[in-house]
Amino acid sequence: MTASQADLRISRLINAPPAAVWRAWAEREHFEKWWIPQPIECRSVKHDLRPGGGFETQMRDGGGPWKPHVEGCFLAVVPQRELVFTTMLSEGWRPSEPWLGLTAIITLADEQGATRYSARVLHRTPEEARKHADMGFEEGWGTAIGQLGAIAPALA
Amino acid sequence: MENNLDSAFHALADPTRRAVIGRLMDGPAPVTELARPFEIGLPTFLKHLRVLEQGGWIRSEKRGRVRTCHVRPERLHAAERWLAEQRAIWDARTDRLADYVETHLAAEDRR
Repeated sequence: MTASQADLRISRLINAPPAAVWRAWAEREHFEKWWIPQPIECRSVKHDLRPGGGFETQMRDGGGPWKPHVEGCFLAVVPQRELVFTTMLSEGWRPSEPWLGLTAIITLADEQGATRYSARVLHRTPEEARKHADMGFEEGWGTAIGQLGAIAPALA
Repeated sequence: MENNLDSAFHALADPTRRAVIGRLMDGPAPVTELARPFEIGLPTFLKHLRVLEQGGWIRSEKRGRVRTCHVRPERLHAAERWLAEQRAIWDARTDRLADYVETHLAAEDRR
């Protein structure tokens, strides 16, 4: 599997102007409402919308303890147009060892008053991830590797 | 892997257990290390591990005083499946965003 095969592309036409879609991303009280599916609660811990700014969310189930969800940093921020974050770095571009390495490139474009919302999500390839993995993996392991993990936080 | 689908899915129904699988995807780990990020008692955490073992998602072995957990790759074999799951997560997330914006933010920004 090559790097590009581990990419996702998502596109939606949202029936609202880019300013509204941007607010849903930029303002924490809105962002917390959609980032994680209910009934899991989402808490925005870091949401510093500038290059190098921290991005962190936590989740909790049924009023229980808060648990890690996503931790990373923003790479590019152009209001109402583009937002890029990665989990490969934490706040201030500090290298990190995420459970799921990904970079997400979000773009917004005006389409006659509506918003063309596109997300490109780049992942490490399984082969690349395997190089970093600990010993003890069985044969044939390589295909799935580290990032299924992601399912953990993101399915919540 | 004699486990039925019910117990497999039950095992995934909890965020702590999903997080454990996520951690183990990076490599085997001792129970104490696995438990560290969670603010729950060890007995509760061990219950979660038991559910994961019964669901066929992990196995564990004891060497000396250290019990080490491994994910069972046969449960998670296909990269395609992994990517499909990632896609489902982002698809659902984008649907929620669209729905939220159209319901709560579209009107006020269109004035």
